[in-house]
Amino acid sequence: MAVGFDIDHLAKLARLSLTAEEKALYSSQLNQILGHFQALADADLPATIDDARVVDEAALRSDEPGPVLGAEAVTRIAPASRDGQISVPRVVDDEA
Amino acid sequence: MSNVPSDWEVVIGLEVHVQLHTRAKVFASSPWGFGQEPNEQVDPVVLGLPGTLPVVNREAVEKSILFGLVVGASVPERCAWDRKNYFYPDNPKNYQLTQKDFPVVVGGQVEIELPGASRNVMGEHKFIRIHHAHLEEDVGKLSHAGSGSLVDYNRAGVPLLEIVTEPDLRSAAEAEAFLRSLVAMLTQAGVADCDMEKGQLRCDCNVSVRRRGAEKLGTRTETKNLNSISSVRDTVIYETARQIRELEAGRAITQETRGWNAELARGYVLRDKEDAHDYRYFPDPDIPTLRLSRETVARLAKQVPENLYDRQRRYVEKLGLPYTAASVLVNDRALAEWFEAAVAAHPANPSGIANLVANDLLRDLAASAGAAGAFDEAAPAPVSLASCPIKPAQLAGLVKLTDDGVISKQQAKEVFAEMFKTGQDAAAIVDAKGLRQNSDTGELEKIVQEVIADPAVAKSIAEYRAGNEKAINALKGPIMKRTQGKANPGLIDQLLRKALG
Repeated sequence: MAVGFDIDHLAKLARLSLTAEEKALYSSQLNQILGHFQALADADLPATIDDARVVDEAALRSDEPGPVLGAEAVTRIAPASRDGQISVPRVVDDEA
Repeated sequence: MSNVPSDWEVVIGLEVHVQLHTRAKVFASSPWGFGQEPNEQVDPVVLGLPGTLPVVNREAVEKSILFGLVVGASVPERCAWDRKNYFYPDNPKNYQLTQKDFPVVVGGQVEIELPGASRNVMGEHKFIRIHHAHLEEDVGKLSHAGSGSLVDYNRAGVPLLEIVTEPDLRSAAEAEAFLRSLVAMLTQAGVADCDMEKGQLRCDCNVSVRRRGAEKLGTRTETKNLNSISSVRDTVIYETARQIRELEAGRAITQETRGWNAELARGYVLRDKEDAHDYRYFPDPDIPTLRLSRETVARLAKQVPENLYDRQRRYVEKLGLPYTAASVLVNDRALAEWFEAAVAAHPANPSGIANLVANDLLRDLAASAGAAGAFDEAAPAPVSLASCPIKPAQLAGLVKLTDDGVISKQQAKEVFAEMFKTGQDAAAIVDAKGLRQNSDTGELEKIVQEVIADPAVAKSIAEYRAGNEKAINALKGPIMKRTQGKANPGLIDQLLRKALG
């Protein structure tokens, strides 16, 4: 069953460059997966709330500050860093 | 200010992001605060490292509920968190934890006051509806240096309440008034500090225009990340003019996300609808749905302070304050409570107390603090009453001495200055300086007789008798002089009128 999606848009959102063959392959696989969920959605089931996933306020944490990693540990797990900050390629969501 | 042609109407909705007043982050125990060294306030949960589990901070939830109660919203039975997916290095996990379908606050409204014709006149009041408010995590901070960008995750995970209004605002002035009112409510309830210089309050501003009378809303644009009230005002003015210009030239408005350059005072396009992010929201599997107990809601309801404009109405209607003084006092809860403590000590003259608090006390406190306003450049800096050398009952004592005619209003200013310097009681200062007014009628009557017998004032007496009320003032100076300024001015006036028949 075909479910509406735009493989080019999905690839862009996922930051993937796909070849024509890959697009055809992934489109077909995605259609199968989405078709499976459509089958679940079509099943006639009573509406229930997943109570197992509802907690009350006892499950909250108190507002007590705990330990931190420290800038050295934080930057060590990144590929590049400078002056205690993580260094990344220039990303400017800004006026060009 | 903004010159919107009369056949056009502007429609504005705001999304206000407020950092909540907590010690730890919203899903992690890492502390947070402004001005720390980069990446020193980060723990594994903030980074979303494998094996970590976010747990919601109770204080952040309670502050959110408290906000809901302050604006008269309904607090839902449950709230839940979702993942908002996007790739950008300000976000260590590639998703932001937020609330999409089940926010913690639904509905509510904020009363606003528009500027009056002058400072002494109250402007129009209006209610702006809140659509909802959701509790999410703030993201890290990027700075751009040369060919790269640097990332500091100290801000990532700070509790952020996003307050979304209905499109109820109709002018730049209304947007400004709304933000002032919102900031006052948030700070007075202790929900947030709203220090805009520290980025504790940021705004996204949705603007569209339509022909007056049209039902259908025009295409809107969203200007993101405004960090001062003046930027919001300027954005509304700029965007309104731009959209009207486009439409009148026969061009269409594109639904787009925009930025604002405060230095150049102009907006610019960030991305259009084609490039709009698809955030692929889904319920966060790590954080269970939270049931909000009615007991908690009832407990928090007791913490809701008196609404700012309810207080203002009470001051004007019940205490008889002039609007100018009332509007100054109600902006700062601590100041209003200080004023009320003074009134409790001397209930006979609230206006006299208000006058000293709103003028003299505020002026001297501001001068001794020297702090500047942050997000709101136009508003006076909040003053610290904690270090105020005068206690409310002491100020009440000063006003009572004036009311009882023991000292003149002019002398009260002098005594006030001394009280502010030394923290002494008014009565002690009055005695030490020998300022007690002479209210001995017999002695004063004698002086009055001597003064009016002086031929030098005969002209003034004649003018007064001819009906020139003001001429009597010329006689008061010599009397004051002869009593070294200690005579009660009210009594002098009374005795003079009696003597002159």
